[in-house]
Amino acid sequence: MRPPWQPLPVAAGVELISLTVLLLNLATVHWPAVASLMGPTHGCAYLFVVIATARHPRRTGRLVLTALVPAIGGLLVLRHLSPAHDAQPGRR
Amino acid sequence: MTKFLLAVHVLAAIIAIGPVTVAASMFPAAVRRAQAEPGDGHHVATVRTLHRICRVYAAVGVVVPVFGLATASSLGVLGDAWLIVSIVLTGIAAGVLGLLVLPQQDRVLADLARTESAGVRTRAVGARLAMHTGVFNLLWATVTVLMIIRPGSTTGV
Repeated sequence: MRPPWQPLPVAAGVELISLTVLLLNLATVHWPAVASLMGPTHGCAYLFVVIATARHPRRTGRLVLTALVPAIGGLLVLRHLSPAHDAQPGRR
Repeated sequence: MTKFLLAVHVLAAIIAIGPVTVAASMFPAAVRRAQAEPGDGHHVATVRTLHRICRVYAAVGVVVPVFGLATASSLGVLGDAWLIVSIVLTGIAAGVLGLLVLPQQDRVLADLARTESAGVRTRAVGARLAMHTGVFNLLWATVTVLMIIRPGSTTGV
């Protein structure tokens, strides 16, 4: 049984997309409104990924450190937690 | 933009921290009821729901300090003493909630699930949990009042 929706994938996606938008905005038009909207959104997503990883039933110290990686931390954690990753030879 | 950030900050505080306050305050009483009538699954279900509200809305509560900092930086008040005190108090409150209240709720719930085998221990933990919950509520109420009074602020109300 899977829960109806999982917060970690959503937060991981928002983490990457919001940072991409921020950097694109910085490199191109540099609208202050976009920066003030996306900045806090990215901050929330980043913190949420770290908290969700730290409270995950299958967390390890290394996994929490992975979550701290900017921008792609959430996606790296998801990759580590995915069933396909566990099925690789040499993993448990 | 400041008004939008402030609106998100206040809305998040009401929607996220409010339920945590209420559910965490109801938690010790619900535990006592569950202990008074062991074997009644209804009470344990209530305790579990209250714990879930605390856990989920505490995570949603991350929005409050993040948008608070964004509001403060767009208002240019990040260096004000009232704000620094609020940030420190919020940090302490978050620590009390995340490191004391939620793990203790976890433990009480696990004990309850194992029924009355650890009844005495659960009771002791329950009293401490009620105290920590009170400390959390007091801390965040203090921060809210600080946000309204803003001692030393020159921007008016």
